[in-house]
Amino acid sequence: MEDFLYEAVEIIQTIWDGILFGSTYALIGIGFTLIFGAMGKLNMAYAGAAIAGAYVGLAVSLFFDATIIFVFAVSAVISTLLGYIVYQTCFRFIPTHNHLAALMASVGGLFFIDELIVLATLGSPMNFPGLFEDAYFEIGPFGIRGDLLFVFLIGIVSTLLLLYVLFKTRLGMATRAVAQQDIAAQLCGINIHRTNSITFSIAGLLGGIAGAMTAAAVGVLSPVMTVPLTIKGLIVTVIGGLGSIPGAIIAGLFVGAFENFFLYIRGIDERDMYVVALLFIFLIFRPNGIFSKTINRD
Amino acid sequence: MDFYLNLINTIGIHTMLGLSAYLLLQTGQLSLAQAGFFAVGSYTAAILTVIFQWNIIPSVLVAMLVSGFLAFLVGFPALRVKGLMLVVATIAFSEFVRMFFYNLKWRVTRNGEEIGPDGTMGFAEIRYFSDNGWSNFEVTLFLWSFVILIMGVIWWSDQSRTGAVLRAVGEDELAASSVGINLTVVKVSAMTAGGFIAGISGGLYAHQVTSLDHHSFTVLLGTFAIAYPILGGLSNVFGTLVAVIFIQGLLVEGLRFLGDWRMILFGLLIVLAMNFKPLGLFDKQTMDLIKKAIRV
Repeated sequence: MEDFLYEAVEIIQTIWDGILFGSTYALIGIGFTLIFGAMGKLNMAYAGAAIAGAYVGLAVSLFFDATIIFVFAVSAVISTLLGYIVYQTCFRFIPTHNHLAALMASVGGLFFIDELIVLATLGSPMNFPGLFEDAYFEIGPFGIRGDLLFVFLIGIVSTLLLLYVLFKTRLGMATRAVAQQDIAAQLCGINIHRTNSITFSIAGLLGGIAGAMTAAAVGVLSPVMTVPLTIKGLIVTVIGGLGSIPGAIIAGLFVGAFENFFLYIRGIDERDMYVVALLFIFLIFRPNGIFSKTINRD
Repeated sequence: MDFYLNLINTIGIHTMLGLSAYLLLQTGQLSLAQAGFFAVGSYTAAILTVIFQWNIIPSVLVAMLVSGFLAFLVGFPALRVKGLMLVVATIAFSEFVRMFFYNLKWRVTRNGEEIGPDGTMGFAEIRYFSDNGWSNFEVTLFLWSFVILIMGVIWWSDQSRTGAVLRAVGEDELAASSVGINLTVVKVSAMTAGGFIAGISGGLYAHQVTSLDHHSFTVLLGTFAIAYPILGGLSNVFGTLVAVIFIQGLLVEGLRFLGDWRMILFGLLIVLAMNFKPLGLFDKQTMDLIKKAIRV
């Protein structure tokens, strides 16, 4: 009985930590979903830009001894800039109906960003400053890691800000209009390229925060993080339903919990296999994700 | 000399890999699973020649069938998800395969030596060619006979009704189905054929490099597989060949002195190529120019 209780507490603790960490996946998923909603295209360079932002933030903290908040801000700004650049170089001038070319171009963008990071850091992982690492709250038998809680709170704040921008401002209205029907939006006098580049920048902003959050929660930053983060982000986007923001949030937290649970019971080598298997289960039984739209755009 | 033979072999293997994605791209399916099928093919063929001591030709054929069957199975659920969802599903599939081989341990003892796939350590005892006394030149001939065969078959299918059907599905699914083309059959067939070709190239790759490692089968390889036909253009098989020669021969080997800058250049090249030639190097415009030049 003792053992069983101990085990149960451990598992709940694991899942709880996973949910907190899952907020990073949720943010990356929101970024993918925003861009997909706006243009019906995948921006594969997105997670790469997020990690690149975190790297620049880290560089700033190394050279200027900056506080962690400043590091997060720099990451977000750089990633916003990268989002804008990726739109201008990989999407702006490619014919809208040509999905292949845009996808391929953004993959090229991912390589470019990834290899720049490798070149700048010589490919070795670097330590990232965590925050509130010593803080540890205890509620009954459970504990909450301070750094994970911080990451989670930042995730919530940025999501709320995003929802405010999307649903309460004119900018958000324009973004949603382009997402719903780009030709009609254009007829109403909305400049599609301007709106799209703003959407890419907003997604980049979230990505930069998510990149810094991931790095702060893991404690290291490494160029090999970009591809797994891209894959996890895409999985979250699909599980949540392409184009659905609440779906991305729930799916992100869920994938975080799921992944941490299998990390606990099966070990690090097999963890990602189960996450992928989860995606397949969704593709077979619920191909449109948790929050499927009534009209399937693609 | 060996260096050039190796380079020619690499070009041959990557051409086959590119062609396996070429067929799928013609039907408008963007699959990043080719690296997964390639990995399955290479491990299957290597296990057959090393652990079961088969001859190489039946091993490669079985590898082809296994990969093709797997592609057939992947093809069905993939049909439920179109377009960009397919990209995600196939990335996930190829990662799943890679992690499967990352965890695969199957060691047997033969002649006092332990052989077979060894999980994270990779699979290093694939010495079929050297054990049977093949010279490097013979290996290259053997490998390229497969390349030429596959290129020939796809070239022929491009000229025939098969190619027209594949293209019709790729251009406009609704229009294609309205003239009586069965979309499911066409798409799953293309997926299966792609799996066959990727399986062959994987089986040959395993024996050419003599050791396998899960690191070789990442999403990067799948991206290369689709990059060749997209950069080369989907109008004919030579576009893919030219793209492979350009990327593997010139960019990866020829510019070796540039070190890490090569990959940056590669990324930049893709971005530029897609902006200026969204339909690939050998698009209609280029083909018309070539045809004119040949006639004059």
